[in-house]
Amino acid sequence: MSDFAIEADRLVKKFPARPDTGDKPVNGDTSTAPKRGFSLFRKKEPKPMFTAVDGVDLQIKRGEIFGLLGPNGAGKSTTIRMLCTLLEPTSGSARVNGFDVVKQANEVRRSLGTVLAGERSIYWKLSGRENLEYFAALYHIPSAVAKQRVEDLLERMEIKNRANELVEKYSTGMRQRIAIAKALLARPPILLLDEPTLGLDPQAARNLRELIAQLKQEGHTILLTTHYMEEADQLSDRIGIIDTGKVIALDTPAGLKRHIDQSEVIRLEVLGWQDYVGDKLRALSEIHSLVARKQDEGDLWEVNLQSNDSRAALPRIVEHIGGNGTRLVNMNIVKPSLEDVFIQLTGKALRD
Amino acid sequence: MKSELSVNSLGTRGFLADAYALWAVVRREWIIFVRYPSWIIALFIWPVIFPMGYILTARALSGVDGSGLTAFQNTTGLNEYTGYIAVGTMIWMWQNIVLWAVGYSLRNEQLRGTLESNWLSPTWRFAYLLGSSFPQLVSMFMLMLVSGLEYALLFRVQFEGSLWLTLLVIFAAIPSVYGLGFAFASVVITVKEANAFVFLVRGIVMVFCGITYPLAMLPGWMQSVAQWLPQTYIIHAMRTAALSTEGLSGIAFDLKMMTLFGVFWLAIGYWLFATMERRARQTGAIGQY
Repeated sequence: MSDFAIEADRLVKKFPARPDTGDKPVNGDTSTAPKRGFSLFRKKEPKPMFTAVDGVDLQIKRGEIFGLLGPNGAGKSTTIRMLCTLLEPTSGSARVNGFDVVKQANEVRRSLGTVLAGERSIYWKLSGRENLEYFAALYHIPSAVAKQRVEDLLERMEIKNRANELVEKYSTGMRQRIAIAKALLARPPILLLDEPTLGLDPQAARNLRELIAQLKQEGHTILLTTHYMEEADQLSDRIGIIDTGKVIALDTPAGLKRHIDQSEVIRLEVLGWQDYVGDKLRALSEIHSLVARKQDEGDLWEVNLQSNDSRAALPRIVEHIGGNGTRLVNMNIVKPSLEDVFIQLTGKALRD
Repeated sequence: MKSELSVNSLGTRGFLADAYALWAVVRREWIIFVRYPSWIIALFIWPVIFPMGYILTARALSGVDGSGLTAFQNTTGLNEYTGYIAVGTMIWMWQNIVLWAVGYSLRNEQLRGTLESNWLSPTWRFAYLLGSSFPQLVSMFMLMLVSGLEYALLFRVQFEGSLWLTLLVIFAAIPSVYGLGFAFASVVITVKEANAFVFLVRGIVMVFCGITYPLAMLPGWMQSVAQWLPQTYIIHAMRTAALSTEGLSGIAFDLKMMTLFGVFWLAIGYWLFATMERRARQTGAIGQY
């Protein structure tokens, strides 16, 4: 048996570009969609293609937590959907638990527990217990075994006392726990968790992170996608950063941070941020990346700048901010975080 | 939280495992069905309300003394026009409900977000469509039963035919009625919206299959079209079985045609489902709302 739980080899997925969504061929892709049907009197123009995943190589070791990070539209979900057999690759290959995702799709499904679409992946008109019993049957677990398994998981997820209530009465956190229990039902060796803590309150998210760490201890291999950089940093043994369909960096969290050890991060809090100020700062020779994000309160913005020489940059930054309604409220020089690595590699914040 | 040490799949394989999964789909669909109490209204009121307009029109046209009924009797061989209309509209309602309920079953799962989580399991995928049809079939059978009782008790309709032959006709009609529903469900998953198609199909059935009048009333070309619609044979067979004393010989040809159409539509339904499933893996259509 291979040492790798998941292997992807030059995985590519292309879709016909949809003009209404602004899909554009990326990376100079000029390929066209295969023609379907026929036209009697005129030759149909071939459709332009949009490359969602562009030659992804992955090797995820058994027993590790692998974090897949990327901004929206980077290709994370498409990659995950190919690995869990919902999508067929346009080219390249992938193996999950040693099984080919196209030729041995059912064996792949038996090897996987998947949390996609979180709370929407379960039936709100069924109770928590009914949901788990239903999915246990779909995963071909014998009913006597399933009964005990469902009880164990309800207890483990701390939902046993409300197991007979309809899911529509649950909180988001409880629904997410049912979705995770569903993924664990058949005790699969590999778990694919797509944004498992999305929408959870801080306490529920913390509990879930503890659970994910426990699942790794129990021997599960976990492929995790998340928007929360700290979560990826805390949980992942290795992280792959994906952007425009390509894996642009892959290392341990510490290894990734070492890439920008020479840089310093200047974190500003600015009231009334304006884009032209950003353009001026980007033009400074000491600055090599800038990302501005609006905060929840009022007109306050957090601006992250990466610089090789913050001492030289600081006076020039202060000089450019101020006036025309822009005011510097706070300024710190901090150690690079995983998010700063991400910004340096992709030029954008994870939630862009 | 407690800890769990081993990581071995608990799933089994084989026909029995898939059969149990199919049963789970049936059970799930039934539980959800009975949790929406509005079905009771549909069960008791709709079968009487819907044909009422046609029945009252027929009563008006037949005259106060019923003298106009002679022409109807000459054409159909029946004198029970209330039952005649009730049976025709019941078959129309059956096909209509199947197009909405079965036809939209996968689409509704897609909109809820649960279709992907079903699709991720190793279960035979046609089981989702097949399983969601069984509770619908049971509820439709109850609808027919209640409807028959209501017409017998409230309108004094004389069902002079055979209960067993009526059941045989219902059984023989299932493949073509549900085959069309399966085909429809597969198309809806791809095109997302198909109200216009439902209206078209039910309009065709309403006009061409004679739900309230004998086919002899139609122009020749429309009668030719009617011969290619399974609902024509279902309606004729059901009326003969429930309202007349002709026996098996009166419905033998209809049964043969219903069987042929049943095989055809089931094959088309399964083929379209398999095509949709294959295409969805290429386009990602399963997860698209």
